[in-house]
Amino acid sequence: MAGRILLVEDDPQIGDYIARGFGEEGFTVDRAANGRDGLFLATDSQFDVVVLDRMLPGMDGLAVLKALRAAEVETPVLVLSALGSTDDRVAGLTAGADDYLGKPFSFAELLARVQALMRRGTGRQKVQDTVLRCGDLELDRLTRQVRRGARKITLQPREFRLLEYMLLHQGEVVTRTMLLEAVWDYHFDPGTNVIDVHISRLRRKIDDGEAQVLFHTVRGAGYRMAAD
Amino acid sequence: MAVRATGRRRLSPTMLRLVAAVFVLQLLSSAAAIFFLRGQMLEVVRADREDQVIDVRDDLLAAYYEGGRSALATYIREQRGSAADPGVLIALSGGGGPAVTSNVDYVPAIAPQERPRPVLLRVAPTLPDVEMLAQASPLPDGSTLMVGLVGASERRFNLAFAAAIGLTIAMATALAMVSAVLLGVAVSRRTHEIASAAEELAAGNFGMRLDEGDSGDGFDHLRLQMNTMAERISRLVAELGAVSGALAHDLRSPVTRLSAAIDTALMRVDDPAAIEALQAARADADGLRTMLETALEITRLEGGAVQDRRVPLDLAAVAEDMAELYEPLAEQSGVTLGLELAAAPVRADRELVSRALANCIDNALKYGGDTITVRTRAEGEGAVLEIADNGPGIPASDRARVVERFVRLDNARTRPGGGLGLAMVDAVARLHGGRLELDAGAAGGLVVALHLPG
Repeated sequence: MAGRILLVEDDPQIGDYIARGFGEEGFTVDRAANGRDGLFLATDSQFDVVVLDRMLPGMDGLAVLKALRAAEVETPVLVLSALGSTDDRVAGLTAGADDYLGKPFSFAELLARVQALMRRGTGRQKVQDTVLRCGDLELDRLTRQVRRGARKITLQPREFRLLEYMLLHQGEVVTRTMLLEAVWDYHFDPGTNVIDVHISRLRRKIDDGEAQVLFHTVRGAGYRMAAD
Repeated sequence: MAVRATGRRRLSPTMLRLVAAVFVLQLLSSAAAIFFLRGQMLEVVRADREDQVIDVRDDLLAAYYEGGRSALATYIREQRGSAADPGVLIALSGGGGPAVTSNVDYVPAIAPQERPRPVLLRVAPTLPDVEMLAQASPLPDGSTLMVGLVGASERRFNLAFAAAIGLTIAMATALAMVSAVLLGVAVSRRTHEIASAAEELAAGNFGMRLDEGDSGDGFDHLRLQMNTMAERISRLVAELGAVSGALAHDLRSPVTRLSAAIDTALMRVDDPAAIEALQAARADADGLRTMLETALEITRLEGGAVQDRRVPLDLAAVAEDMAELYEPLAEQSGVTLGLELAAAPVRADRELVSRALANCIDNALKYGGDTITVRTRAEGEGAVLEIADNGPGIPASDRARVVERFVRLDNARTRPGGGLGLAMVDAVARLHGGRLELDAGAAGGLVVALHLPG
């Protein structure tokens, strides 16, 4: 899934690293090294996602974001920031950001989040669908029943929400932090591999004894659910 | 941050002492006023009576100078003019004539004197002594004229004053009580107002300011100083925010570049040994990032440079959620994670308390035994969150130290981590106006207790 990304980042090394990463994934990347240029580019042309550094020379990232939203540019914006605390995240989201990522981050995390933003409103299974499917796995959001082919699977409430989230984002890379934020509503990193253990437990219930594996581990990034 | 003062507003012992002091001082001042008044009035009355005695004498002298001693004797005998007053005693003696008296049976022995003076006289043998003002004056013919004015002025006065004093004291007492209580209430209210402001400051609301009066009294001075202090604190906190932001930017960007360089290298090499080394470097870079973030977070929490996101919260619910998150990991590590929950309502930031609890469970999983119990219960107006394990515990001598930043005990040095876990928990506790306590469990192990106010 390629797309056009605007990267507004003043640190040339980090900018190069991100641009190269997206380039290798097949994205077209336009770059701006300060807030004014970024704002100009973002209002002038069509991008799928804007990756915006929060601390920029000339014009602060949040000011750029507010100006964009005031100009009714609704392109999804992911704010990158060295300020990773909850306060800063809330400030970013309030200013109109669609996602917020603290520095330092791994490129895999950034890629997964940018892809998630791009899919918002396109190809993805609709949030209002009552039955979510992946291969022969079926999750009924009304009756809260899960079956794999003819096999009925009993899940704990949290496992159900975890699977629901994975199904809503099937085909996408889902990182541990994304899961922690979406399924548990925690915005800090517990540090240990708590999420991995939850996933492996769920994975055993879904994939054990099946010919087709639905849970895929994406090295260095997280997980992906797909029937391919 | 101090433990939140309770909202109870009663008269404290200090307040009572202040009220009592005001009361006593008021009483003393009104008593002094009464005695001064008494003295003054006594003086006036006395002067008045003295004048009266002198007036009677002058009246008699007028008769004397007109008609001589015999005219005066007649005047006295017949009780004419001012001699008609039954309270006036007159005695004329010596001078070669018979003694003449009025209202007295004999001639009292009183030495001649310029001014009337108080004396005790027996008017008749059957009567008790009476108090009077008397004056004896020598006449040109050698006789002596004594004039006395009966009246126990001072004693009567004292009796009247005693009654007046009684009444005044009763009224002064009542008024002093009322004013002392009013003063007490006023002082108490102003002090509480200032204390609430200090409380708000402690809770991290550095924008608070007190209304500065212009009466220039001690309270205004205190308010002014409080405001100056708040001003300074808020400026320092803002500076801290700016410094930590700059530090974060300065340190995180290099760490991001470091991770980026490692990632780039990882994509380029195929040598398994190189990949292994790079992955180890990547893990260290991640560890460095986590430490940096936690250290900055603690700095922010300790500086109070965080937004107040406290909401009414049941610690039992927080514990339940966190236990649910950690349960699979505990099971995988062969640890039983148990819950003993009772309703524990507090006002707290869910994210921060969850994070503190996660740190404690994480520590217990790393260093504790094979059983971890999370307990919650209400305590006073707040609640306690306890994490108990059955591991080796922490020696009493190390317990205070281990809460400090970057302090790691010997058995932890070989394990990953930055020694920030408990420092973070402590910072969270203090930000909420609570406290962190480490203790030995009843059956050994470590009990970490987070006390939070309601």
